[in-house]
Amino acid sequence: MFLLVACIKDTDFEQANDVALTPTVELNLIHFDLSASDFFDSNTSNPILTVRDTTELRFLNDTEIQEGLIRAEFYFKFTNSIARNFIADFQFLSEENDTSFTTQTTITQGTLATPIITEFTENVEGDAILDLTMASKVVVSVTIPSSDATLTGDLNLKSKTTYYTEFQ
Amino acid sequence: MLFIALWAITSIAQNKQLLYGVEDIPQNLMLNPGSKVMQKKHYGIPLFSQFHFNLGMSGVSVYDIFGKPGVDINTRIRNKIFELSNKDFFTSTQQLELINFGWLAKNKLYFSGGIYEEFDFILYFPRDLAILAWEGNQDYLNYEFDLGEVSTTGDLMTVYHFGVNKQVTKKLTAGIRLKVYSSMFSYRSTNNNGAFVTRLGDENSPNIYEHSLENVNMSVETSGYASLRDMDGASQVTGKVLGRAFFGGNLGVGIDIGGTYDITNRLTASASVLDIGAVFHTKDVETYKVDSNYTLDGIELIFPALVDGQGTLPYYDDLEDEVEREVPIDTVNNSYTQLRPMKLNASLSYSFGSPIDGGTDCNCYDMSGGLIRNQAIGLQYYAISRPKGLQMAGTIFYYRRLFDFLSAKATYTLDSYSSSNVGMGMFMDFGKFNFYVAADNLLSYGNLAKAKSVSLQLGFNIKIARE
Repeated sequence: MFLLVACIKDTDFEQANDVALTPTVELNLIHFDLSASDFFDSNTSNPILTVRDTTELRFLNDTEIQEGLIRAEFYFKFTNSIARNFIADFQFLSEENDTSFTTQTTITQGTLATPIITEFTENVEGDAILDLTMASKVVVSVTIPSSDATLTGDLNLKSKTTYYTEFQ
Repeated sequence: MLFIALWAITSIAQNKQLLYGVEDIPQNLMLNPGSKVMQKKHYGIPLFSQFHFNLGMSGVSVYDIFGKPGVDINTRIRNKIFELSNKDFFTSTQQLELINFGWLAKNKLYFSGGIYEEFDFILYFPRDLAILAWEGNQDYLNYEFDLGEVSTTGDLMTVYHFGVNKQVTKKLTAGIRLKVYSSMFSYRSTNNNGAFVTRLGDENSPNIYEHSLENVNMSVETSGYASLRDMDGASQVTGKVLGRAFFGGNLGVGIDIGGTYDITNRLTASASVLDIGAVFHTKDVETYKVDSNYTLDGIELIFPALVDGQGTLPYYDDLEDEVEREVPIDTVNNSYTQLRPMKLNASLSYSFGSPIDGGTDCNCYDMSGGLIRNQAIGLQYYAISRPKGLQMAGTIFYYRRLFDFLSAKATYTLDSYSSSNVGMGMFMDFGKFNFYVAADNLLSYGNLAKAKSVSLQLGFNIKIARE
């Protein structure tokens, strides 16, 4: 009967194993606005040479990210109207507070009239990805060489990460 | 066994173009309660009087994805995602008749009734979400991913029906069927709105990007789900669901109406509208809703002055809380009414060849105006109401009674799936035993992988002819 001749051919369902989603995701990271006064303690009249803050980034060490992240590209954009160069430190820590990944950059000084933009890109791939995805938080330290009560201006950061992934 | 194997891989569109208008089988009355009835009585063999299963995809076949033309499968999937539109869909329908019976009463009314189970599912292709999942948002800055493309419904129900059919005049036969639906499980997510977009921020933006949910208004309505959620084990769930099959679920009512009119003794028109009705979901209902406008900027560090040993702010927890607050998923228990997917059938047929009843112009077999001849050609139209509008099909058919005990119908159908759908049905009477089998998309049977939908219907009845 005509019904019995049906068949499926020229197909290879083994190919299902090769299916891979490779989305490239653009995502905001952190941002901040520091003013020159944050680097000087007016109560004690002492300079504060390093300010530091920490946030969790709990998604970084998710199993899916650990298995699927191929490459991460951090982009930091500093806008500086303070007449000092800064050093910015990004220290990625695991849940046990072990440092798993670090990166650092220098921020060029600017003026109130002409804020200077410093862009910094950190590309992470290969073995470094394994280190990065051990982390679940980041400590951000901003260091000024010297400061006093008369220092004015702002240091602004905007940042994002491009995640290159492959999920099978 | 071969049939069972085929059931697993073939499909029957909701459109039963091969059975419509075929007076040889009692199931014809389920497609048009006002069709001509030839028999005196019929009984479907319980559970075997009709099995119906459909798995249709518009725009894509298994071969398109898993074929072997030497192109990487991921490239093929990507190309297909962009080729498909948000009007393309995946659908599956399955029906199983539990009981079907009918008899001609003394007052010349033909009564028929029965019970069938129906599963119906449709998912429109959410193209933008597929692109987002496949490609990510990097190449789509400022592109508004349309969340309103999400449109899907699913239903599992038992239908109890009873109908009456009468030959009103020599030329006109009409009928009506009342249906009671007992919904075992139902969900729908239609009428969704909103967009997700990643825009490059300007100088005043807090961060590089603005990831925004814009005017998002989405919901999933469920009935018969909430009480299952906390159950453990498939047997508990199965028992609970089956309990609802016997009027234990959410009830609904509907009607089928139809008629057949002999314009001349060769030309016959017929039409039917099925499932004009609704299910009223009042028990065990749960609706999940999201109503939101929200922009994600990332985490803002504020560098608080810290005393030794004191932790900083829980930025990440705060962000999660903010998302939950700004994009809240509300659960409400409102009753809702769900219209059944209404189906429309219509046909015009022209019969020719020799009259089947001895070759005279007196047709003692059927006193209606039309003369039953051994061949007919005609046109059929089919439409079903779906969340994004009507889906339609047109059919050209040729019917022939080959022997007293065997008739056949061939069809060519144009629909959402393809323009090369050829089908064939055979209808057999061995004494009182009636058997039918019908399949479409026969051209694909050489390689089912290339089919976008395939159709198979079969069933067994006891049919007692009129004297």
